[in-house]
Amino acid sequence: MSERIARLEREAANLKVSTSAKRDGILQAVGAVAMVAGVVIAFVAYQLSLDKSDDRDIQSLVILAVSMLGLSVTGAAVFLRYSLARFLRFWLLRQLYEGQAHLDRLVGALGQPNSSDEHEVAEPEASR
Amino acid sequence: MEPSRRDRDVGVGLRANGSDSPPAAPLLELVGVRAAYGGIEVLHGVDLAVPQGAVVALLGANGAGKSTTVKVAAGLLPPTAGRVHVAGHDVTGASSHDLARIGVCTIPEGHGVFPNLTVRENLWMATQVSGRLDVLEDAAYARFPLLGPRRHQLAGSLSGGEQQMLALSRALVTDPAVLVLDELSMGLAPIVVQQLYEIVAQVAQEGISILVVEQFARAVLGIADRAAIMVNGVVAHAGTPAELQSELSSAYLGSDNE
Repeated sequence: MSERIARLEREAANLKVSTSAKRDGILQAVGAVAMVAGVVIAFVAYQLSLDKSDDRDIQSLVILAVSMLGLSVTGAAVFLRYSLARFLRFWLLRQLYEGQAHLDRLVGALGQPNSSDEHEVAEPEASR
Repeated sequence: MEPSRRDRDVGVGLRANGSDSPPAAPLLELVGVRAAYGGIEVLHGVDLAVPQGAVVALLGANGAGKSTTVKVAAGLLPPTAGRVHVAGHDVTGASSHDLARIGVCTIPEGHGVFPNLTVRENLWMATQVSGRLDVLEDAAYARFPLLGPRRHQLAGSLSGGEQQMLALSRALVTDPAVLVLDELSMGLAPIVVQQLYEIVAQVAQEGISILVVEQFARAVLGIADRAAIMVNGVVAHAGTPAELQSELSSAYLGSDNE
């Protein structure tokens, strides 16, 4: 057990206290704000462009609207990344387990000598 | 590891074996921990220590702050003030998975199993920390023979006691150095609780340090080396189980001088 304690001491000393949870929360909030603000600003810019007669003003506002839509898409991606990360990790774990279990079943079935013997014996009888 | 901290009595931080050798740093130590849910502070400066190889019982009535203390110790709730030390090193703010990885393993209250996974799948979760599933299964079923025949049964369909056994077995196969048990007896029959604490006593004999949080004092005091009683978010009394017998009734029922 002293070896285990020594390992605990070593690992506790090397443990870098992560602030990722706080960072994830901030990024999730930033993503949500960008997603909403992008759509709102794009809509406002587009509405403003309708009242303009000068092509240069219209182009500027349309460029702004398109940029804001881009920001909104990016914000949505960031929000999803940091809000669903934990769920996706678990989902990935489940997929890995099911894949491994499927592989184990296949290997188990291939490794059973009786089943292949029975198949070889049964086949000529069925063909008669 | 500063000598000043090692030598300080932090409630229940005395060595359990009573030897004359200099005391090692407690494996798990909470120093002046304060914690809050939103604006409501629940822990008002908790000092608690789990020495190497000792079983420490944390007792108290409902709402005393026991489970919140566990959450802080397990990294599930960051303290608003105070420090958390593991083996003498400051790990305040470390995440629960970091603490679990280094060997501080927590079994939360209310059967810490995945109910929609089978017994085998629950054990498989532990392979993320340690080793191959078949090896872990052998170890788990050797300690808890009841689980063997139920390996393909959904954990949620097991009895309460079996679920706690599964939670314990999953924790133990990860080779923990410190085990934190929160309300092991919750919702279980007294005979099952007794069986579970016999297993906990065996685990303690293997040298694993254990912090047991329990509302029903009688169940845990038989195996504890040290005990602490929480009242209103602070450790009000600490000592050996024998020393605390007289304090228990006042802690649970209140007394004239409180």
